[in-house]
Amino acid sequence: MDEPIWLKFIVAFIIMNVLLVGMAYMTWFERKMIAAFQDRLGPTRTGPAGLLQPLADGAKLLGKEDLIPRAADKPVFFFAPLITFMTAIVGVAVIPFGEQITVFGETINLTIADLNIGALFVLAISSVGVYGIILGAWASANRYSLLGGLRSAAQVVSYEIILGLSLIGVFILAGSLNLGDIVREQSRSLEIGPFEISNWFILSQPLAFVLFMIAAVAETNRAPFDLPEAETELVSGFHTEYSAFRFSFYFLGEYISMIVISLFASTLFLGGTDGPGSDNFGLGLLWLLLKTVLFLFFYVWLRATLPRFRYDQLMGIAWKVLLPLALLNIIVTAAVRLATN
Amino acid sequence: MPWDVIVFYLLAAVCIAAALGVVVSSNPVHSAIFLVLCFFNVAGVFVMMGAEFLAVIQVIVYTGAILVLVLFVLMLVNPDELPEFHQGRPIQRAVAGLLGIILMLEIAIAILNREVIGQQGAATAAAIESVGGNTQALGRVLYSDYLFAFEVISLVLTVGVIGAIVLALPERLGERIGTRRDTISLGHPRGTDAAAIGAGVAREQAPILETRDRFAAPTTGRRLVMTKDPDEYTGAK
Repeated sequence: MDEPIWLKFIVAFIIMNVLLVGMAYMTWFERKMIAAFQDRLGPTRTGPAGLLQPLADGAKLLGKEDLIPRAADKPVFFFAPLITFMTAIVGVAVIPFGEQITVFGETINLTIADLNIGALFVLAISSVGVYGIILGAWASANRYSLLGGLRSAAQVVSYEIILGLSLIGVFILAGSLNLGDIVREQSRSLEIGPFEISNWFILSQPLAFVLFMIAAVAETNRAPFDLPEAETELVSGFHTEYSAFRFSFYFLGEYISMIVISLFASTLFLGGTDGPGSDNFGLGLLWLLLKTVLFLFFYVWLRATLPRFRYDQLMGIAWKVLLPLALLNIIVTAAVRLATN
Repeated sequence: MPWDVIVFYLLAAVCIAAALGVVVSSNPVHSAIFLVLCFFNVAGVFVMMGAEFLAVIQVIVYTGAILVLVLFVLMLVNPDELPEFHQGRPIQRAVAGLLGIILMLEIAIAILNREVIGQQGAATAAAIESVGGNTQALGRVLYSDYLFAFEVISLVLTVGVIGAIVLALPERLGERIGTRRDTISLGHPRGTDAAAIGAGVAREQAPILETRDRFAAPTTGRRLVMTKDPDEYTGAK
């Protein structure tokens, strides 16, 4: 735990850069996958199998003209994309990438910030991320953008509640809000008769897992809940007026928050770094990576399969279906916990 | 100077500057942004005091939910229609200033006269450590000693929610639930089919009226009422 602060910064720097590269290749992965779903090839020209496509996209975005609407509220217009980008990236600080390792005689803790309320930290940060969308939409002085921003505000506030409530069952079972503790609790194996199964919370909290996944897709504004940027009706919604690298901050933010939420979901429900041979730091990391890619594939799969929800359906599902189910899950979990303790 | 003192003064300075910004800025959306900044810095102060749970709840509840709704409302309002905050109304300003000074004096007197300075309460570091942390300690106190107050607050909030739902309801609830299952879409002929909506005809059987007949259809039940005269928007009146 007590490592020098410079070491912490190095770990944070490495993780942040890995995340950014991961984000770049997430776009490649998504394009390839969508292409496969639609029986196309996807990017093929840039590098082998289009692997250099993210670099080409980045260079193209940086070279574009940066347009600012005349009626825009300039300071707000400038910093709104940064809010989305920064809040997306900060969440990774509390994800446990393993226990401690020793490199050159220095003990390194593989969680950047081992907060005792780590899970709530992720929720808090993701709830702040909506400001980037709302303020950007408002500052653009564009009707379509404003509508996208309003949708986003209502959507994120509603689904944040589902996101938080679905996790309470996990917290009750783990008895802690610390993500490290939650992973440790899950890596314990349970013996039921002759079988030995792992204590992953997806097995004991299946309903919470489904609710969490639905809310997570809505929280990251991804299809089929991508109403804030519905291109068919709102001309891309909140980022209509954004171009060049300001647009790319929104783009980066969306993909990074997908990766962070996937890491978070793997940590909470799939045991995080737990898996065969996870005592080894490298294997544990590999397991976490595999689980995260599974969730990311799920995101792409949803986008390729489902049509967009209508706005009233979206809100109706959140308040009339998901919220009662989440409350039911809490009551049942608490009752079972009380009965077995 | 130790690091935590520097960080504290930084947080406090930004917090006060942001609070000033809330009051001074003429644009209500800018005020809300300053308020977000202020809340964030208060959360930072909480973290420095070791109250991480409180800090995160502050961010989730105030920054993530309440202020988003405030912004939601502000964005829908035309800024030209807002009352003037920064000019006129001398009586209101004088009264507000007086009340502010009285409140500040009250707080100052309360702080200067308190008798518990230097005394330890029940929540000592050891007591918190023994139950496993701040979050656990807070949970234990909240759901045992202060359970009654907690439940009363829950009740008040529930009443508020029910009140909001009642305010948002259409004036004749029973009729609407009985007859309508789909949303009204002004772009779709079936959406403005007043006859089908009023008489409760099943969706599949509802006759699709020609566009020119839309508003001439006989209405036996609830009629579609436009909230505003369309001429208001075009200025034709």
